[in-house]
Amino acid sequence: MDRIRILLSRCAALFGKQKLDEDLDEELRTHIEFAMDEKLKHGMSQQEARTAALLKFGGVTQTRERYRVQRGLPFAETLMRDVRYAVRQLWKSPGFAATAILTLVLGIGANTAIFSVVEGVLLAPLPYHQPDRLVMVLESRPSLKQMGISYPDFQDWQHGSRSFERMAALTSRSYDLTGPGTSAHLDGMEVTSGFFAMLGVKLVRGHELSPSEDRPHEAHTVVISNRLWRDRFASNPEALGRTIILDGADFTIIGILPPKFRLWSDIDVYTSLGQDEPLLYHDRTIHSIVCIARMKPEVSMAQAQGELDAVQANLDRLYPAADRNLGINIEPLKQSIVGDVGGTLLLLLGAVGIVLLIACTNVANLSLARAAARAREFAIRSALGASRVRMVRQLLTESVLLALTGGLLGLMVAILGVRLVLAKFPDLVPRSENIHLNIPVLLFAFGISLTIGILFGLAPALDGSSVDVQGSLKAGERGSTRAHPRAQSILAMIQMASTLVLLVGAGLLLRTILQLWNVNPGFNRQHVIMFEVGLSPSLSATASSTRTAYRQLLDRIREVPGVRAADFTNIVPLSERDNGGPFWVGAQQSTPMQDAPHALYFETGPEYLKVMQIPLLRGRFFTPADNSDSEPVVVIDSILAHTYFPHKDPVGQLITVAHWRTARVVGVVGHVRHWGLGDAGTYNPSQIYISFYQLSDEWVPAFARDLSVAVRTPLDVAAIMPAIENVVYGADKDQPIYSVQTMQQIASDSMTSQRLPAILLGTFAFLALLLASVGIYGTISYSVAQRGQEIGIRMALGAKRRDVLRMVMGQGLRIAVAGLAIGTAAALLLARLLSSFSQLLYGVRANDPLTFVAVSLVLMTAALVACCVPARRAASIDPMRALRTE
Amino acid sequence: MGNDKSDVLQGTLDLMVLKTLEAMGPLHGYGIARRIEQVSGNALSLNQGTIYPALLRLEQRGWVKSAWGTSESNRRAKFYSLSPRGRRQIEEETENWERIAATMSRFLAPSN
Repeated sequence: MDRIRILLSRCAALFGKQKLDEDLDEELRTHIEFAMDEKLKHGMSQQEARTAALLKFGGVTQTRERYRVQRGLPFAETLMRDVRYAVRQLWKSPGFAATAILTLVLGIGANTAIFSVVEGVLLAPLPYHQPDRLVMVLESRPSLKQMGISYPDFQDWQHGSRSFERMAALTSRSYDLTGPGTSAHLDGMEVTSGFFAMLGVKLVRGHELSPSEDRPHEAHTVVISNRLWRDRFASNPEALGRTIILDGADFTIIGILPPKFRLWSDIDVYTSLGQDEPLLYHDRTIHSIVCIARMKPEVSMAQAQGELDAVQANLDRLYPAADRNLGINIEPLKQSIVGDVGGTLLLLLGAVGIVLLIACTNVANLSLARAAARAREFAIRSALGASRVRMVRQLLTESVLLALTGGLLGLMVAILGVRLVLAKFPDLVPRSENIHLNIPVLLFAFGISLTIGILFGLAPALDGSSVDVQGSLKAGERGSTRAHPRAQSILAMIQMASTLVLLVGAGLLLRTILQLWNVNPGFNRQHVIMFEVGLSPSLSATASSTRTAYRQLLDRIREVPGVRAADFTNIVPLSERDNGGPFWVGAQQSTPMQDAPHALYFETGPEYLKVMQIPLLRGRFFTPADNSDSEPVVVIDSILAHTYFPHKDPVGQLITVAHWRTARVVGVVGHVRHWGLGDAGTYNPSQIYISFYQLSDEWVPAFARDLSVAVRTPLDVAAIMPAIENVVYGADKDQPIYSVQTMQQIASDSMTSQRLPAILLGTFAFLALLLASVGIYGTISYSVAQRGQEIGIRMALGAKRRDVLRMVMGQGLRIAVAGLAIGTAAALLLARLLSSFSQLLYGVRANDPLTFVAVSLVLMTAALVACCVPARRAASIDPMRALRTE
Repeated sequence: MGNDKSDVLQGTLDLMVLKTLEAMGPLHGYGIARRIEQVSGNALSLNQGTIYPALLRLEQRGWVKSAWGTSESNRRAKFYSLSPRGRRQIEEETENWERIAATMSRFLAPSN
């Protein structure tokens, strides 16, 4: 208590020092006057009284000094003096200060930016109640670790397990909103009751779905997002209880979510999962939903897994046809939301750390040069009695001041940069809404700034302060005999090596992207536009009217001038949309469902092949004659043909499709790289095409919802879409057109996992190249400045300009070559260590010689250019003047 | 600190100041110094200046308050007075001192 009081009073005394000093002076003066009064009374003379009083007082100056020490914080006062002095010193050499600060801004800014992303995405807990208790529960089968679950299984888990406080099932489902307001396509989610309570999310108004709404129900209800509430109802509280029209049906709004709620992506409407589509939700073999659950506090993930394993084993026994060999896969919800971006982010954090290292090395290099140049200043201060500690502290103050200034500016650059990038690419990383300036980010920026300031200030500080006073003062006017050529060269070498590592990384990713871009995906991605249409509810009341509506819609689109071909597909290649399912060769389901081979199903129209220009290898594709009255037919891809019909012609053979029927193979088409341009063909490589017009009636609504229209046209989007919109809206105005994208865009988006690190690594490598060039330039020019006299003598003795040029360039080259060698070794080693990096590569090995040679050339050129300027300066030294200045 | 026998130990000066203020009421620095000299019978050669850092220390601890006022000779002077906390502290400090003194005298007593 006393200590705090004393500290506070001492801190307070740091301010208003002048007033306090005046007070003290007055008090001491009065003291002497009182003493003199007394002496005068005893008959002393004025002079005698004064002398006696002062003698008795015992040293006014010492008293004042001791008083001040007691009053303030001597440490803080010295620090403030140091800071003031440091600011003056830096102000006097603005070139040095600006270069150092700019370098640090780049280094610290880039690091803070990446750290804020890592913090927001990987480190920060999910913004729900006790998020570490939340898990994602999925099913697995022998050949697939994670797959969707079936609704009946989910219900059995709910009844059979005791490890969870709550379990909820969900699946995404898009809706077309046709009122109130203009029609629009909305991303929606079907959830079971208690979903929001399980997450611990409190609705801002109303309540969520109740258990009674998990069953088929006449009155539909919906929980809407805060955004929809704001956009459609101007955040009016009376929106509660109002009706919105989704896919032609009335839904009553019963709840409104808080503004920031988000799981994987932005969702506008949450409807009841159990309410409709009995087909999807009462068939144990359809795995189209996922489950999120909250474990009880005392239950571990292993316990929960064990219990569900037991429940599932029981289901295996009860429903062998559907559940045989199905397993349970539990993972933390956060892992499921963050996905596999973690490795990439950590890779980037490492890369940006290298940039920081290079930046710091530059500053250390600059400081070394400056320390040498200031040797005389320190010699004088030392001669005047400044202690070594005092001078080290002064130098440290300067470097910490530089680092903190750089850190503060870097922090601002980072915040602005991240905000700009995320505003432009909101889906670059998951959980991007969670990335912002917070305490950990501030601490990180402050921490690295301080560490840099101390670490990289300490070396030059210790070095600069151990001054040989006599030597330095004797060395004449420029007083700078203490160069550090060796230390500086080593630092420049490290920079070159680190830069090479970054350049190699960026180069490999760039090559990967080029390779991917040149991959033939199995179709012609040029001149294809994809879009989705919400078919008007009035036209899609029954399966047969839906089929007719689509046929008429496509006929109208085909008539638009510029359209060469048009048809639809339920899944768009490279879009990551999955539609896998089991099949059997022959007319029977010859094995249990889990053991059957899986294929990816495309439900398309007859002209799809022509639109995509997928090669037809055998037989035929669909014709308009393939309809619900004719024999069911399928078209298979080349991989399925090779794998399952190795020695015979597949055309004419039978294939049995799960949930559908046995169909005759009428054609074989080329394989399409569905899972990305770099698709290695490990997941679900077989592909089966089914004509949408042959789908059973009960499947039509489910598939019709997700159909994309593919149009082949030489015109661009802006030129053709208005005409297409005209004919679509001409048929019915309640048909929103959305997700308009060219196939080129979809292909480009499929490379996101490479593009983000490629762009960032490229940026970092460029920064590093810039910094390292400045570094080698600084080292060489400093050395030229130091060796001015020597060069002068050499030239006086007959050395040619060319010789000087060669000598200086040689020095730079030696540094660059050594750096290249170290960097190459490091890059080879790192590429092997970082598996998350190698996984990003496609069509190029981590030790790709072309990349190594190319980036070495780039680095070498940069180093040569950087050395050129000081070399030319050295060559143009006038020997007479150089000799005279000494 | 020198080895002059009349040098004042730091803690003792604090207690002397507190006791002086307790006995005399509000007093300026010179008055306190003179009073200490008088009470000690001039056996103590106090450097009067040392009183000021001591007063500041006591004030920082909250045992003493200060305020500018006017002396009987009509000079502006800073007057120090005991705070309630300081008054309580005297007791504790006195006990401390007595304990030290008793211990010391036991050491110094002629051994028999």
